[in-house]
Amino acid sequence: MNSLIRFIVRHQFFLLFLVLETFSFWLLSTHSYYQSTKFENATRALTGFTSSRISNASKYLKLASTNERLAQENINLRNQLAALNTRYEVLKTKLGDTLVAPNYSYTLSRVVNNSVNKQYNYLTLNVGEKHGVKREMGVVSSQGVVGIIAGVSPNYSTVISMLNVDLKISAKLKRTNHFGSLYWDGKNYREVLLTDIPQHVPVSIGDTVVTSGFSSIFPADIGLGTISSIQGKGSNFHNLKVKLFIDFKQLNTVWVVSPRHEEERVELENTTKLR
Amino acid sequence: MLKDIVKYSGLFVLLVILQIFVLNNVQLSGYINPYLYVLFILILPYEIPGWALLLVGLITGITIDTFMNTYGMHSSATIFMAFMRPYMLRMLADREDVDKKGSPSISGNGFVWFLKYASILVFAHHLILFFTEAFSISTFLPTLWRTVLSSITTTIFILIGMYLFDRRSHI
Repeated sequence: MNSLIRFIVRHQFFLLFLVLETFSFWLLSTHSYYQSTKFENATRALTGFTSSRISNASKYLKLASTNERLAQENINLRNQLAALNTRYEVLKTKLGDTLVAPNYSYTLSRVVNNSVNKQYNYLTLNVGEKHGVKREMGVVSSQGVVGIIAGVSPNYSTVISMLNVDLKISAKLKRTNHFGSLYWDGKNYREVLLTDIPQHVPVSIGDTVVTSGFSSIFPADIGLGTISSIQGKGSNFHNLKVKLFIDFKQLNTVWVVSPRHEEERVELENTTKLR
Repeated sequence: MLKDIVKYSGLFVLLVILQIFVLNNVQLSGYINPYLYVLFILILPYEIPGWALLLVGLITGITIDTFMNTYGMHSSATIFMAFMRPYMLRMLADREDVDKKGSPSISGNGFVWFLKYASILVFAHHLILFFTEAFSISTFLPTLWRTVLSSITTTIFILIGMYLFDRRSHI
């Protein structure tokens, strides 16, 4: 007993180091994004507050380019609206009024914290429970998919970024409709990988990749990016690099996607699996 | 003693604010992330007891972790760096300044001494940080590359910081 105490006293520096290091690795291992802790909820109010101060300041510096992009987007939307309106008028006379409610609704939000330089990147948005945001909802911007909501507090929510090596989303080739999964390899923040596209599918550089709509998190046919390199000759699947349309360093305004009939869909899929 | 505590608390707040509000928003490239806050561990006084050194490392790391949503990453790296510090000091010590008062600085120890001291400890910190972040050996080389580039950047920031800080303490 005496020698044990002497041992502890003599090596107290090293032992304390071991204890503290074990503690922080324990923190590291228990903290995965699906188990958002009470601690995180308590601190998010503070970190969200400071982050929104930072983004308020940096938003001013980007006003010019943001304006330009919004104006361009407005024009595009107007054009689309006009085109769709004429088609709608034609269809209405043909089919009667069969317009159904859209499957998704959108909540406008601002990015108050963002990073692209880590392996596990997260964003913080200035909308939360109060605005109807729930976990596992999708987040999109005008240029493509941003990520999936990981945690919410009353006024803020955190998003697992597309640039997080843990996140995979279902995507398809717009031209051929073959689907695969899209994920980030943690290297270049403008490029992600598309896998599971079989070798027999003809792919060429510049092909557009869009969301598949299989997961009900994201609507189908949101543009994600274009194929920038094709590899994997000799294996069963293509190894495709996709250049993202979206520039995560310029992200400012995003939309949270809430699916309308999600419970119905999940219930249906579950009951069918049982048989 | 009390004056020291006030001085170091102020410095702590200053470094954390600088890290979170400024440096975390400066993204030079995907490979370079300066973490200036480790300067705090470098310039703690010589006489600080071992347990206090480790605890300060833990508190510093957890504070940064809280703001960056990276639970445990910065604290494990900072604790490791705090653990290495006494060994580094012993290794680099000249015979005459074994029982020195005050804290490590450029003016007190010379530029080359401080550069060695800072760069090795910063490298140790960044090595743990980036490898716990990557968490797999498949990305070994890119991670090592990030560690080296970021260590150089952080060390440069620290040297600049030391010159500013030293000048202020002369007044």
